[in-house]
Amino acid sequence: MRREISFFLNGSEVKVAAMDHMRLIDILRDTLNLTGTKEGCGEGECGACTVIVDGQAVNSCLYPVFEVEGKKVVTIEGLQEPENRLSLLQQAFVNSGAIQCGFCTPGMILSAKALLDSNPNPTEAQIRDALQGNLCRCTGYVQIIEAVKKAAINIRDSE
Amino acid sequence: MRRYSYHKPQTIEDALRLKNEKTGAVYIAGGTDVMVQIKDRELRPSAMISLRNIPDLARIKVNGGARIGALTTIADIIRHPTLGQAFPVLMEAARRIGSVQIRNVATIGGNLCNCSPCADMALPLLVLEAKVRLRGSDTTREVSIEDFFQGPGESCLLADEIMTDILLDRSDENAVAVFMKKGRVQMDLAVASVAALLDMEGDLCRKARIAAGSVAPVPLRLRAVEEKLEGSILSEKMIRKAQELSKNSVSPITDIRSTEDYRRQVVGVFVKRSLEKALTWSQQ
Repeated sequence: MRREISFFLNGSEVKVAAMDHMRLIDILRDTLNLTGTKEGCGEGECGACTVIVDGQAVNSCLYPVFEVEGKKVVTIEGLQEPENRLSLLQQAFVNSGAIQCGFCTPGMILSAKALLDSNPNPTEAQIRDALQGNLCRCTGYVQIIEAVKKAAINIRDSE
Repeated sequence: MRRYSYHKPQTIEDALRLKNEKTGAVYIAGGTDVMVQIKDRELRPSAMISLRNIPDLARIKVNGGARIGALTTIADIIRHPTLGQAFPVLMEAARRIGSVQIRNVATIGGNLCNCSPCADMALPLLVLEAKVRLRGSDTTREVSIEDFFQGPGESCLLADEIMTDILLDRSDENAVAVFMKKGRVQMDLAVASVAALLDMEGDLCRKARIAAGSVAPVPLRLRAVEEKLEGSILSEKMIRKAQELSKNSVSPITDIRSTEDYRRQVVGVFVKRSLEKALTWSQQ
């Protein structure tokens, strides 16, 4: 049986019909067609499905959709700036060569965003801890850490 | 994907009532274990009863001792302003769990009720001699954390019971407590882990509480080692004896993560390091 659920997605309220057993990632990808969120392992190991719920990075593959009722969800699509511009964080990933195949990138960026939103000036150790739950099988970790460092500087400068 | 109904009770009473009404229902806390078990078809519930929307279950109260709601997330334990000062060893273990994404939803009660021999939160609670409060339809009882674990995936929880709180007595001010965990990388489950609480008077050990994880069917208190240490001077020879005794007090298995022999070695080394650390601190 389907029933309606409402939550805030990338700043706007959405109401969708969902089935009880669905996970947050199912609604994002299959119902709302927001395929930027990726499913890798489906068990919380790889972090490709990372989204931000009420300010906290979570694995959307382990998140029962009905737990998101009334909460604020941010996906990679929510980072886009007006006129299709990339956010400073996304641009830092591009400039640092922190994207290889790209599959892990949305999850990496959302983990990094959750970190920078709560800690605008993180140490390298804090960046590594924040990205511990995101695997990159192209193994481009050095550039990814660099990208987050650069993004932190650029975001601070822009404010 | 097998279908199930999803329920979000707002009170403990409603949760207990739902569990009794719905055959094949399971409780879900953070879901980081349950959702994986469903994916792997180890669990096929007909209904899921979420405990995440019951405010009473997620409170922390610190007053010398502490009462930690079972639904408190690992991240909220780490962030708490005073819990870490009162029980630093609890914090050390919490920081070593999984990733940010896991710690943001996984709960202390869920970690315990999953009853894995490698449950990280079990070890500090064992050496702090914590109790857990279990609430059923008509009863509330308190059980020592040691008696709570019955085997891999098995606890003394009855079918409808909910773990509501973890209870800690005021910690001994002279005691030092440490947590050590060996995993391949931070994300991994422990290959072996040890928590130790030691009350020292110079180099005399007055009290010892030692627990080991991933090396027996349940997170284990190493009572033989504790008895050996209490009332003894922590000489080099005594530390070596405790190390050997620890290796022989556990019954690890060989599996995908490690071998029986390596796990014994790690437990021995961790106990040795804990004792050396306690000795250094007591002499400062």
